Amino acid sequence: MRREGATAVELDDNLALYDDVGQLLIMLNSSAALIWECCDGATTVDDMVRQLTVAHAGDAAEIAEDVRRTVVKLAELGLVVQTGP
Amino acid sequence: MGPARGRVYRTPILTALSYRFAVRTDDECLGRRVDAVFTGLRDPSAKAPAQHWYSLTAADGLAGTVDVLRDDESLARRVRPDDALGWVVWDVNRAAAEAGAEHLLFHSGAVEAAGTGILFPGASGSGKSTLVAGLVRSGFGYLTDELVAFDMASGMLLPYAKPITVKPGSFAVLSDMDPGAWPAPGSGHGTGQEWQVGVGEGTGLGIGTPCAPEFVIAPHFEPGAETTLNPLSETQAFFALAVNAVNLVGHGSVGTCALGRLAGECQCFSLAFSDLDEACCIILELVAGKAPRSPADTAGLEGAGRAP
Repeated sequence: MRREGATAVELDDNLALYDDVGQLLIMLNSSAALIWECCDGATTVDDMVRQLTVAHAGDAAEIAEDVRRTVVKLAELGLVVQTGP
Repeated sequence: MGPARGRVYRTPILTALSYRFAVRTDDECLGRRVDAVFTGLRDPSAKAPAQHWYSLTAADGLAGTVDVLRDDESLARRVRPDDALGWVVWDVNRAAAEAGAEHLLFHSGAVEAAGTGILFPGASGSGKSTLVAGLVRSGFGYLTDELVAFDMASGMLLPYAKPITVKPGSFAVLSDMDPGAWPAPGSGHGTGQEWQVGVGEGTGLGIGTPCAPEFVIAPHFEPGAETTLNPLSETQAFFALAVNAVNLVGHGSVGTCALGRLAGECQCFSLAFSDLDEACCIILELVAGKAPRSPADTAGLEGAGRAP
């Protein structure tokens, strides 16, 4: 789920995130922003894939891979933390 | 004839954002130059003493050069007088950034026109000082050519009327702002590697008042480039401001939200130019008309830049 301490600023199609803890400013595109917003501790990665597959025409397997990669990247940046198995 | 020496010339208290300083020298010509260069930072209301004194004193062993000290600390030795001023301006700028850390600071120029603030964020060499000088020469109020202080509580840009630093590449287009030869020919004083052009009373270059920013224009000087002004998206404007924010880390989420508001609420552009007069004309027309970016962009500004 999203770690506390990050401030989000909506900018046209993008989202600027400032992480007070890591003192990191990062720009997310609309898809990455949706994934970050879905990191609420309840929405699973599969749920995210379903949402993005509905929102964006494209290969479901490819979208699933993109979602997983994005979640991993957000975790590496310390912007989300794992809460379940 | 050498420079007149003996008497010590002292400036009144000068204030750079909230940094108070003063300058003294034993060189009469240099004393007059210091007065002219720092006119814009005079603060008649200052009651507290200077936090630091800069001293410009004749260097031993190399005629026509001076040593630069801040209190007892050496900043530069055996430099030409105009370059000595450059050292003082550089150190004052650094100290002003520290002293003004309560504000969100940008590496940016800024001018004011009838209460409208215009920011020119950009790295060194982007042309922001030249552009600011050209606009101030055209009647805009000078805020700064280097370090913008944005007061997040009031939403205002604050004047920091340091001398305008003009680099050799802009000497030709700003030749009328040449501080000129030293008043004591043969004194050994050179013209320096940069010009430090004083602003404010008696200079013909006016200082602006605190004002709300309404335009963000990211300049890009490129020799031979056609003068073009292009709208920036909110994201592009945010990025242009963020990369030139001096102390965003210090202001964290509050500063980030302020950046978002600036990007969302200002009209934001990039400006490519090589002709200073053309660039100034475009900005004059823009500010006079206050043209919105486009209907679609304007509609999209509602609610933008807010933190959830």
